[in-house]
Amino acid sequence: MVLATDLKGPDGRLLFKSGTPLSSRHATLLARVGVEEVDVREDTALTAEQLREIEDYVRDFFLYANPDFEPTIAMFHIALDQVAEAVAEGWVLPDLSRRRAVSVEHLEDIFLTGMGTPETIVKHESELASFPDIYFRIREVLADERASADAIARVVGTDVSLAAKLLKLVNSPFYGFPQEIDSVSRAVALVGHRELSTLALGISAINYFRDIPPELVDMRGFWRHSITCGVIAKILAETQTGLSSERFFTAGLLHDVGRLILFKKLPYASTEAMLFARENAIPLVEAEREIMGFCHTDISKPLLASWKFPETLSNMVNHHHDPMTFPNPLGPSVIHVADTLTNVVELAQGGMYAVPPLDEAAWEQLGLDPSILRGVAESCRKQIEAIMEAFF
Amino acid sequence: MGSLFSDSITLRKSIGISDDEFVQLRDFIYDKTGIFVDGKRKYLFESRLTKRLTALGLPSFSDYIKFLKFDPRRAAELNKLYELVTTNETSLFRDLKQLEAFQNNVLKEKLEEQRAAGRRELNIWSAGCSSGEEPYTLSILLHETLRMELARWRITITAVDLSPAMIARAKEGVYGDYAFKTTPDAMKSRYFTKEGDGWKIKPAVARLVNFQEMNLNDPLALKRVPRSHIVFCRNVIIYFDQEMKRRVVSAFYDNLLPGGYMMLGHSETLHKISSSFKPVFHPGTIAYRKEG
Repeated sequence: MVLATDLKGPDGRLLFKSGTPLSSRHATLLARVGVEEVDVREDTALTAEQLREIEDYVRDFFLYANPDFEPTIAMFHIALDQVAEAVAEGWVLPDLSRRRAVSVEHLEDIFLTGMGTPETIVKHESELASFPDIYFRIREVLADERASADAIARVVGTDVSLAAKLLKLVNSPFYGFPQEIDSVSRAVALVGHRELSTLALGISAINYFRDIPPELVDMRGFWRHSITCGVIAKILAETQTGLSSERFFTAGLLHDVGRLILFKKLPYASTEAMLFARENAIPLVEAEREIMGFCHTDISKPLLASWKFPETLSNMVNHHHDPMTFPNPLGPSVIHVADTLTNVVELAQGGMYAVPPLDEAAWEQLGLDPSILRGVAESCRKQIEAIMEAFF
Repeated sequence: MGSLFSDSITLRKSIGISDDEFVQLRDFIYDKTGIFVDGKRKYLFESRLTKRLTALGLPSFSDYIKFLKFDPRRAAELNKLYELVTTNETSLFRDLKQLEAFQNNVLKEKLEEQRAAGRRELNIWSAGCSSGEEPYTLSILLHETLRMELARWRITITAVDLSPAMIARAKEGVYGDYAFKTTPDAMKSRYFTKEGDGWKIKPAVARLVNFQEMNLNDPLALKRVPRSHIVFCRNVIIYFDQEMKRRVVSAFYDNLLPGGYMMLGHSETLHKISSSFKPVFHPGTIAYRKEG
């Protein structure tokens, strides 16, 4: 979208020339100076050559997927449009050297290959650091069917930062309550005690990973991926009857939690896996299996078990790459589809990884028309910034 | 905004490969090279190879398979195929910690042993050398370790790769910035000279390396490699299935002189492949020793 006419401020000063591409940044700026309405037109600024470049760029990330599968084709078109929009707003497509260059030589693994199994790696982790106490107290409340709304509010209230995050989250467009919610007990009353406890459980779990050094992995990017997956998972779950969609945000939030342990324990190998994935245009999960002999869901299994994480949530996390191997595949399938779509929408934000193949049987589980995906991706995009803000 | 792309843009650009064709081609490549293409990579495979079908004007993968088996030009085509099924991603001084551990322990030990026995010779085999980064790095390490003494040694680094294109590039020995991403500056300026956009390996370093095309799936070819004190095979067996891994590692074992060492890539292991070697642990790497 570009400005259709020159835009002047309330004082008559020229703010932006006609033809300026508009981004969300402009909207904030204009609101600040008191401009409420602007004339816009469709942006046709992209040349045929640029469109072709975008098409090639996006296609490269889909080489691993079935090019004849309708939902995958729908995702391809979503990525095309989102990338085009980003380019129109000034984003430059990363070239090949930027897509590959990372040096891993300063990193040192705690385990040499062949010495660490997923179980020993997780054991090493849990012996070193204790899990936050608040997590276990929330889990107790969650497990107790008779726990009152007050009880959960009391537990959450003892952790100021957790309470603040929860409030920001329930006040974000993700929940869309018309009035500001200013207390945890009010949040419990509106959102429901199970959903709020599940959320609190997820947030207290991610707090555990605050100390991962940022030079190792782009943690903001990691959580953005996780939150996006959570938002999409919740939206998808709401289309299903008989699913309590409350859990899906939390499951999405933690779906890659095994990767965090890999970053901590096998930084060299996990960075090698990232490079291997980029260089060979294969999904990261495949590269992990090739480089380490196991993948992040092999880690999340013993990890979540050692945390005594609620089983329904664990199953969704542990099986998001192989949902159909789980006896009750609908939950894991939702996370699987959400994770795939997350990879797709990330392409326009500089995502570097091949889109993993969509498990066709898992998609069938949801019984959805592929046309729904565009709306899901759009509404997720509208919500993500506010939620990111709640977390960081 | 509305889409700038026509709805008719298809995701499929490649010529489709049927399951049957995929299995035939996969088995063919496996027989020739030992490289195993996982079924999960079917679409990736399809799109990479479509270029070759188009270049040869072949309408289907069945025709391509026939071409690879029977056409008089098949030998040249096989080389093109090899380039597409392996990635040749590597750099000079890849895995510094491993190299350091190698230089200070394994290499030191072997050199001392040879000196003590009055045999100043050393054979190293770099298997899967890609465009030459690894054998040149090893040659540099030897220069750094032996310095003036080097002249009194007979050193051969036999560097082999499946792809003739890679061997040609290795012999040329010119590298761009990307290949130097982990190379200490001092090494770069000491052992390379600026040439055009890149840097060329100095002849003294190149002299120790003997490049040749070799298929690790060809047992007779493997037997022609001079017996080694050290074998480097990093990030190669990753492309093989279990059976081929066993065969290749056992060929390395046979080639090694008693007391020799095999070095694998950072993330590779002999777990479930071979128990003949004795793993020797150093910070940053495991060296696999042939006892005796």
